[in-house]
Amino acid sequence: MDPETMKLLAAGIAMGVGAIGPGIGVGILGMGAMQALGRNPEARGAIMTNMILAIAFCEAIAIYALIVAIIMVFVV
Amino acid sequence: MLRIGWRGRIIILALVFLVLLIIGRLILPVSEPEVSLPAEKVFTIAGFDITNTMLAAWLTILVLGGLGYAATRKMKLVPRGLQNVVEAAIESLLNFVEGAAGKEYGRKFFPVIATIFLFVIANAWLALIPGFISIGFWRTGEEGQYIEPLFRGANTDINFPLALAVISFVFVEYWGVRSQGFSRYVRKFFNLRQLFRGIGQLVKGKIRSGLSGFFTGVIDAFAGFIEIISEFARIISFTFRLFGNMTAGELLLLVVVFLIPWAAAIPFYGLELFLGFVQALIFGGLTLAFVVIAVSPREEH
Repeated sequence: MDPETMKLLAAGIAMGVGAIGPGIGVGILGMGAMQALGRNPEARGAIMTNMILAIAFCEAIAIYALIVAIIMVFVV
Repeated sequence: MLRIGWRGRIIILALVFLVLLIIGRLILPVSEPEVSLPAEKVFTIAGFDITNTMLAAWLTILVLGGLGYAATRKMKLVPRGLQNVVEAAIESLLNFVEGAAGKEYGRKFFPVIATIFLFVIANAWLALIPGFISIGFWRTGEEGQYIEPLFRGANTDINFPLALAVISFVFVEYWGVRSQGFSRYVRKFFNLRQLFRGIGQLVKGKIRSGLSGFFTGVIDAFAGFIEIISEFARIISFTFRLFGNMTAGELLLLVVVFLIPWAAAIPFYGLELFLGFVQALIFGGLTLAFVVIAVSPREEH
């Protein structure tokens, strides 16, 4: 296969596989937050703030994969 | 006027949206997006390149400064108009910072955290104004002519998130050292006390407690080393989180407008507005979280 095809394939695989982990991670975070909210609706502020913070950490990993994919397509 | 119920209104709105989509696809052509990851330079002053993202950042500074000036002219005790809006925004930011840091530290952390938040959100939202990537200079590339933008969102240049990340790193370290004293703060990273205690016990002849102390000391020292690495890795992760989100958003808008011009970009504009706000909140909020961790005293074992 010529390099052009390999570049595009690599970009697709990088983003695809790189999004599995964070996707599952954000789902687990959401589940934990929903359960905590169900048990204690009064602590809504603290739960939501901490959930958004944790989701940001988790999503950063997916963004790293996205950066690799973008660099593969546009720069290399 | 006919009386159309809310169900009818939704159907009519959907039909109008569909018609706009079809018109856009068939009649309005949009050139293929040409994206270069590093920012393109617009002109040069005394050997220093001024890029289009730098122009956008200067525009942001002007807008923020102008907003602050316009809101504080003729200040009244009971605010109305622009002063009211700006006061509401500043007060909600202050509540956010004080909620995480407590009353006394909240006031001290507020300037830097609020500046980071306002700068990031103003950069992100100003980049959505029409004309930001579409107005520029014609250049000839390999596939024909394309437009090199005059203004480009400042968050899409990797230098601005990097600068903000370095600022937040220095801010966290400064407050850690200032609140706890240099030796106590550095002891968090070079945690060799347990190691030396273990060696001391070995030398005195107490083998068992000496060995366990020694190994615990090795683990503590290793954990301290990992802490240093994680402090520096935070710069990289802050940079790439903001840069990646903003660049991906810009690329998404360009590609969507290329595929179905004119109407399909509306939901993605909403997404971009929301993402800009969330990323600013996360940058400021994570800096706040780390500085609160740095100033809170560690309990001695």
